[in-house]
Amino acid sequence: MMLQNWKALAASAVVLGLAGFGAQAQAQTQVNFTVAEYSSKTGPYFQEVATAFEKENPDIKINIQVVPWDTLLQRLTTDIAGGTAPDISIIGTRWLLDFAAQGVAEPVDAMLTPDFKGTFIDTFMAPSVIDGKIMGLPVAASARAMMVNMDLFEQAGATPPTNWDEFYAAAQKLKALPDVIPFGLQGKEIETDAYYYYSLWTHGGDILKADGTSGLDSPEALEAATSYKKMIDEGLTQPSPTNYNREDVFNLFKQGKVGMIFTFPMLIPQIKAEAPNMKYKILPFPEGKAKATYGVTDTLMVFSTSKVKDAAWKFIEFAYKDEWRSKFDHGEGFLPVTKGVAAEPYFTEDPDVAGFAAGLPYAKFAPTIANWEEIADTTVRTLQQIYLGEVEPEAGLKAAAAEINKIRGL
Amino acid sequence: MKAFRATPLLMIIPSLLLAMFIIGYPIIDLAYTSMQQVSRFGQLRGFNGMANFAEVFSDPLFYASLIRTGIWTVAVVGGTLILSLPIAMILNDEFYGRGMARVIIMLPWALSLTMTAVVWRWALNGRAGLLNASLMGMGISHEPIEWLATAPVAFTTEILIGILVSIPFTTTIFLGGLSSLPQDAYEASMVDGATRWKQFRFLTLPLMRPFINIAIVLNVIYVFNSLPIIWVMTEGGPANGTDILVTYLYKLAFRFGQLGKASAISLIMFGVLFVFIIIYVIMVMRNEDDGGAAGEAAE
Repeated sequence: MMLQNWKALAASAVVLGLAGFGAQAQAQTQVNFTVAEYSSKTGPYFQEVATAFEKENPDIKINIQVVPWDTLLQRLTTDIAGGTAPDISIIGTRWLLDFAAQGVAEPVDAMLTPDFKGTFIDTFMAPSVIDGKIMGLPVAASARAMMVNMDLFEQAGATPPTNWDEFYAAAQKLKALPDVIPFGLQGKEIETDAYYYYSLWTHGGDILKADGTSGLDSPEALEAATSYKKMIDEGLTQPSPTNYNREDVFNLFKQGKVGMIFTFPMLIPQIKAEAPNMKYKILPFPEGKAKATYGVTDTLMVFSTSKVKDAAWKFIEFAYKDEWRSKFDHGEGFLPVTKGVAAEPYFTEDPDVAGFAAGLPYAKFAPTIANWEEIADTTVRTLQQIYLGEVEPEAGLKAAAAEINKIRGL
Repeated sequence: MKAFRATPLLMIIPSLLLAMFIIGYPIIDLAYTSMQQVSRFGQLRGFNGMANFAEVFSDPLFYASLIRTGIWTVAVVGGTLILSLPIAMILNDEFYGRGMARVIIMLPWALSLTMTAVVWRWALNGRAGLLNASLMGMGISHEPIEWLATAPVAFTTEILIGILVSIPFTTTIFLGGLSSLPQDAYEASMVDGATRWKQFRFLTLPLMRPFINIAIVLNVIYVFNSLPIIWVMTEGGPANGTDILVTYLYKLAFRFGQLGKASAISLIMFGVLFVFIIIYVIMVMRNEDDGGAAGEAAE
């Protein structure tokens, strides 16, 4: 190792010497790229892309900063306030509107050639369009689905449900098994609201009504909440859902103690590694009045303050080549956002991935509206009060809707 | 005479200015920010008077958090003092293995608060937690107890952990105090036939008063502002039921991007602590003027 370093050092010294001796050295443009850490593979992957890019474009240096999701928004906030914002960054699409409204995000329409634009699946492009301008590119996508433990279903003699009535009936049958939780219900921390939206959407409701006011005071929203509450009261979920965050619920499922959960594709590699013998199945969410799944995208955003937008864009075009996108989606367990990768047999034939991808045509996205985090928090607080029995579902949802409308200034 | 008095003053002026700058700048910056309209990303967007404060004072969650902060501070500091004094007295006595016992009491201090909170979060997990496994293993409970599922139980648990992590520091202050107490007073009281309880009540407690006072002030400051335990264990939930001011403030600033409102709250928190300390110091000084034994021990 030492020897190799030595050689590399010597070689670069020689190259530097030659460069200095011959034509004048090319000035390097540095592009700062903040990457959200999806898994331990994320950093090395982007480093690999950057190295390959730098080989083709020796005048551009890509400086990659890997930041965990939990602190990403705080980190970007501090960087922007301090005037040291990166040139490009991966962000949660739900933040994009705030970035755009504050003039932090740069519209990419001018740089996006029709050819390049054509490589994206339109569904995933839609959330990045704000006031008719494309404010970023989809970089990662996932959809949600129901996962059932087939071992438990066979023991209980139950059939995997397709609608909410069957869902309830299956839960009743699973309850007969000792030490088994029929339905894993998430009740705290990140995405507690999403766990409820699955039910809200499939019951025919929506987060916002057509007029932009909160949809939580609709009859569908009430039905969605009472169906969860009923299952809690009848012992068809964990005894106190408010003590379980997403990972807690998934961990119980991995231990084979839970019959049905609502989850994301990233759980599959975890199950394969930690519970390789489990027989599971990916199914669409139970249907009520509508079919739905939750589509989640992340966005690659260009900062308006960047002085090296051309170089940054060159790198972006490079990173969206099929070979790189394919490696990224496989490695992280995401659904493809580009048509080229989506056509790969893996994404159409693998039962797990196909199970999640099947919902994409009717996927719903979190609305791109200002103050989304605060609205989500209001929803979570109300759900927790309902789950704990501190408030009647109807009164709680009405109050939450009024509060959300106030936050939205309606 | 005048020059004699001015020289020492002049000599401390540079360090005084430096200290004032380091302490004062953040407070002034905070006060300035709290009267501005602040964007999602911390950019100042112009003066808006007391709008941020008006918003804070019309927010029911602020009052709920304020009351809970009071309960949290009184319970944790009170509990810590009540437990730390006997612990310090035991550790002050000679007994076999005292060095080891002192190390064990002090050890939690070496762990970061965040790590302690993470470990407890795991230990208190309803299904997989160590505490429930132990309780059920010993036959004390038959059903797993969901420690963090409801606000009253979660908040009580967090207060108990708060007390646990505050004990080492407070015990250290008390140990220092106890070792400086005059032994002859105790010997004299023994000659007079005082019981252990009377020794404690009429000698130890009055003599220890300055140390108890400093323990109260420092603990109130730390506990009032303490984020990690509550944040790691419940993030102020469920349904904001364990939010204290500092966790609510963190949520406002870094989740909702309401930096103006958040800086108004932190200024209010600073004010509350400041007023508390002023009142407390005045009370202590008045007591000392009465000529208690505590005044002498402090010198």
